[in-house]
Amino acid sequence: MNSSSALLDVQNLRVSFSTEEGTVQVLKGLSYSLPKGKVLAVVGESGSGKTVHALSLLRLLPPTADIEEGHVLFEGKDLVSLPERQLRKLRGARISMIFQDPMSSLNPVLTVGEQLKETILAHRKISKLRAKAAAIRLLKKVGISDAARRYDQYPFQFSGGMCQRVMIAMALALKPQVLIADEPTTALDVTIQAQILRLIKNLQQQTGMSAVFITHNLALVADVADEVLVLYGGLCMEKASVQAIFKNPLHPYTQGLLNSLVSINKKEDLLPAIAGNPPVPGKECPGCPFAPRCQRAEKRCFQTRPPLFGKREHQAACWLLEEKA
Amino acid sequence: MNPIEIKNVYKTYTRKRFLSFGKREETPVLQDVSLCLKENHVLGLVGESGCGKTTLSKIILGLEKASSGQVIVDGKEISKLTKPAFKKLRRLMQVIFQDPYSSLDPRMNVGQIIGEPLDIHGLYKDKLSRRKILEELVKSVGLSPEHLTRYPHEFSGGQRQRIAIARALALDPKVLIADEPVSALDVSVQAQILNLLKEIKQKRRLSMLFVSHDFAVARFLCDEIAVMYKGRIMEYAPAEELFSNPQHPYTEALFSAVPVPDPVRQKKREAVSLTARPGMENHPCPFAPRCAYVCEACHTAPLLAQVRPGHFCACAALPFKNKKSSFAV
Repeated sequence: MNSSSALLDVQNLRVSFSTEEGTVQVLKGLSYSLPKGKVLAVVGESGSGKTVHALSLLRLLPPTADIEEGHVLFEGKDLVSLPERQLRKLRGARISMIFQDPMSSLNPVLTVGEQLKETILAHRKISKLRAKAAAIRLLKKVGISDAARRYDQYPFQFSGGMCQRVMIAMALALKPQVLIADEPTTALDVTIQAQILRLIKNLQQQTGMSAVFITHNLALVADVADEVLVLYGGLCMEKASVQAIFKNPLHPYTQGLLNSLVSINKKEDLLPAIAGNPPVPGKECPGCPFAPRCQRAEKRCFQTRPPLFGKREHQAACWLLEEKA
Repeated sequence: MNPIEIKNVYKTYTRKRFLSFGKREETPVLQDVSLCLKENHVLGLVGESGCGKTTLSKIILGLEKASSGQVIVDGKEISKLTKPAFKKLRRLMQVIFQDPYSSLDPRMNVGQIIGEPLDIHGLYKDKLSRRKILEELVKSVGLSPEHLTRYPHEFSGGQRQRIAIARALALDPKVLIADEPVSALDVSVQAQILNLLKEIKQKRRLSMLFVSHDFAVARFLCDEIAVMYKGRIMEYAPAEELFSNPQHPYTEALFSAVPVPDPVRQKKREAVSLTARPGMENHPCPFAPRCAYVCEACHTAPLLAQVRPGHFCACAALPFKNKKSSFAV
């Protein structure tokens, strides 16, 4: 990937939180670029920094957090240093976001239509009537039947899947170039999950926008992503195309994750689980964050952090790959 | 004797609506559910949210009362038992909940959490023997005795679920009821807990009712699986039989929705559409609005009937369903 084709370029992003026990670094230098029209999946467990990364792209972090270092380049502008007023014009309009829990992301005392209209009117100078028509069109587009009637209903009258459709409609209302979806299907049933994934993928292909898809579930990645970034302990462990990740995972953590997925296709006697627990932010080992759980860890894995090895298309941060590089 | 037998259980929630002049609104949540948990078997209850799987496990635990029907635990019908007799019986069945962050009291240390059931039932002679039992328990779930004095917030999700399992095992139960025990856990930890549950089941010769929405997890652990939809059992079969010969259109649709971690194969698969068609809400078959196989045969409510040896399915359209379209995994 060269940076000219990249829509969003994240460079060495470091984010820390100040806590009672001092500052804790949650993202420790994350870099990637998101090409135009592609879907990048960011895979990580809880505490890996995946949500913090999503929030920091649009500077939506809580006040205790601090972007220490790094740049997020979007159309030549650095979102990290952009004045708040200019950033506000981008949020929702050029870069929009879908959150994990649709039920709590919508305002319960406003009708669904009202909230959609509000989004449109905040960025476009059009009449309320036209905004309403646009909102109804959007609801139809995300597969809500009887959209005109649904427009006047409240979120509690919608099921979880329907709420997520509304969130998607809201995110797409202003035809953004980048969609950030943070675990958009985690709170939903499998059947609804399949529908929502398909919807996101279809809309992404129709509009040609790029998307950052954040998830903890590697199985979902196979369906939606073009490229995958595996995050662990605030660091990128592996970066590759979706085919390469599943066919030829290089990092022991990625391999372990893939092995520990429960398969519906066969009955296993024992699952090859990764021993140990994910690191607690702030208490990781100074070397590779995965070293304490890695069966192939050597002495230097605990002491020095490995850089990304490998070619541009497929990189992994593991000392085992040093000789090959 | 089977540890748990459920016969024709119905459950209806009623509520008074505001200004409805005494009229009550009834919501049926379980309709004619019959199941049997065999000794040292794992019975999976699989279905989407709101299908009644948690309500059913609550009824078995005596946390809810069935509107009608029988729940027989260890040969005794629970609705006919006196309170002390039920307390004794309740020792035999213990429960593990979904969210280990909210199911452990944050102000109790691990020793108190695991020891509480022992205290309630008075199952130790002196402090020393209590301590001994606790140490055994934490070791059996892969934690160490020094963890006993720590508090839940010091543990990760997977470790907390281990504590919850240790608490459930404290009374040496015959039956474990696990309500989505791994769905709140990270993928890498989920596998550990599933292995632990399997190991415990084999070592202690436990029976387990495993409530889940995830077919892959159910396949790993379960011997029999019941697929539920809107409070009814749609399909009920030995696990391997269900996966090689799914019969009900709903089961097929659920299988097709499970994501496969393989980009080449996943892109070729097609999920069965489950979009509800409007105007069919009062159809006798609860699944009809979302079913691709609705035909004239569906005009009566489907009954659970044996379609293959040991394999039950509630679908009236089954004989007319095109066999080629079936979606085996």
